[in-house]
Amino acid sequence: MSWQDLVVIGPLVGAVVVAVLVLLVDLVRPGRTVPVVIVSVGGLAALAALVAATGAVPASAFGGAYSVDALTTYLDLLFVAIAALTIVFAPDYLAPRGLPLGEFATMLLFAMTGAMLIAASTDLLLLFLGLELMVLPGYMLAGYHKTDGFSTEGAIKYFLLGSFSSAIFLFGLAFVWGLTGTTRVAEVADALTRLPNGISAGLGMGLAFMTTGVAFKIAAVPFHYWTPDAYQGSPTPVTGYLSVGPKIGAFALVLRLFVETLGPLSEWWLPVMVVLAALTMTLGNLVALTEDNVKRMLAYSSIAHTGYMLVGLVAYAADPTGRVDGLSALLFYGVAYSFMNLGAFAVIAALQKRAGVTSALSTFAGLGRREPILAILMTLFLLSLTGIPPTAGFFAKASVILAAIEAGGPATILAVIAMLNAAAAAFYYLRVVVYMFMREPDDQQPVLKHGALLWGGLAVTSVLTVLLGLFPSALLEMAGTAAGTLLPH
Amino acid sequence: MNLANSLDSYLVLSGLLFAIGTFGFLARRNAISMLMSVELMLNAVNLAIVAFGSFIEGLKADGPIIALMVMAVAAAEATVGLSIVIAIFRNRKTPLVDEYDAMSR
Repeated sequence: MSWQDLVVIGPLVGAVVVAVLVLLVDLVRPGRTVPVVIVSVGGLAALAALVAATGAVPASAFGGAYSVDALTTYLDLLFVAIAALTIVFAPDYLAPRGLPLGEFATMLLFAMTGAMLIAASTDLLLLFLGLELMVLPGYMLAGYHKTDGFSTEGAIKYFLLGSFSSAIFLFGLAFVWGLTGTTRVAEVADALTRLPNGISAGLGMGLAFMTTGVAFKIAAVPFHYWTPDAYQGSPTPVTGYLSVGPKIGAFALVLRLFVETLGPLSEWWLPVMVVLAALTMTLGNLVALTEDNVKRMLAYSSIAHTGYMLVGLVAYAADPTGRVDGLSALLFYGVAYSFMNLGAFAVIAALQKRAGVTSALSTFAGLGRREPILAILMTLFLLSLTGIPPTAGFFAKASVILAAIEAGGPATILAVIAMLNAAAAAFYYLRVVVYMFMREPDDQQPVLKHGALLWGGLAVTSVLTVLLGLFPSALLEMAGTAAGTLLPH
Repeated sequence: MNLANSLDSYLVLSGLLFAIGTFGFLARRNAISMLMSVELMLNAVNLAIVAFGSFIEGLKADGPIIALMVMAVAAAEATVGLSIVIAIFRNRKTPLVDEYDAMSR
């Protein structure tokens, strides 16, 4: 390891430093919220500046295992924003339940480090290590309310299925490494283009196992069974994080694996992805229609959104001219989805400030009269999740579907399925809005006072949700540059 | 055919171990047994990695390193998993996953 390498992995080191600092602050002032928030959010702001500064010049370290490019920078900034918003939203939920913020923030920052490692990995083994670093703290966060039966139940389901899928992924990785002779992404891609006898049985099995493992991590149907329970059981701020952080992290893995490594075999995985995307969108939305628990409903909605993002990947692979419109739409979708989903979960977490309040649909009855600002913000996030202009969600869906139509072939069918799904999804999102503004509550609930942190975080997510819908071109351009780095040079 | 000294026989053994682990994970209803099955699957992976590493000339250096990494990840996973099992055992007084169904009721 040289000094140069250390400079290149600077953002990763910075992320670990911030996590350790939070741990130390918690040691000096145990159980206090304010110092933890100041150090973690301040540290993350500095980290974002570091990422932006070092990401300007493409660089690689450790013999090409770790690369910093436009994609890394784009995703790193998103991961930092997700971590900061989650920490800001957490105290209102954690404090009334006697849960400390210090360990929560530390775990979250370690998980963020794992996601950042995925975004920068150009080596299969490093991708796997980043994946594990991202999900292991996630299991602990899911079970963070350890005396609560739901939280631990969600955690054990998340853990068992997560570690099972990691083992499957790793088994595939072992065979791909053994039969191509390298773990470097570019070299594997190169080896796959010049196979003398085509794909051998062992290599095909390895690729199939890796695909299955990844499908578990992004919660694609039929590998989604852990999602509803893990999301419903987790403490609400954790659910918000789980629905965006590990999901975008796993999509970073999808981009590095399917586009960069398995790009030469896109004919092989394209039909698989078409089926996965169609099933994921449709089943996610259909089951969400039947759910009366808002957290569970949003869990199925997040499965459906995985499907929309996969449409972007299919659009790229199906495009005969090799344009990256689909990938840049996917990356744009990731950002839009992160902010609107985090915002929606923040509103649920705010309502659950009074311990004992469930996330059932009836909790939202009469919210429009009781707490009008929260109700209006929730409506904004739900409209964006539905995909109604002028919100970020509309533009994200539109760009994914347009890319699919332009690509033609099997992607056109997916575009039609995606549009039908978007229409069906409106029903369950708007049902919450109906409850908030047109239903009387069963019992009188007191108006809650929410912290300034929560309002600040909600302001950021809601402003971004609107701004990205009105002026998407700047971000779309960044996404386009990021997607361009994935193509072979 | 020299079975004792061929890569294929080790890979078949690794595949069998992996299949036993997968079967155990799907068939067992005890959370601890499921955790052990996942460990078995990871060990099957390690056997495959070490076999590739010792039979293929170009992979001699990488094999043991990747195997060590996998062992470290497996250890970390076991730690987290056991702590989660203990946490849920305190709440539910049972290690049987069939009875962890409070949310789907």
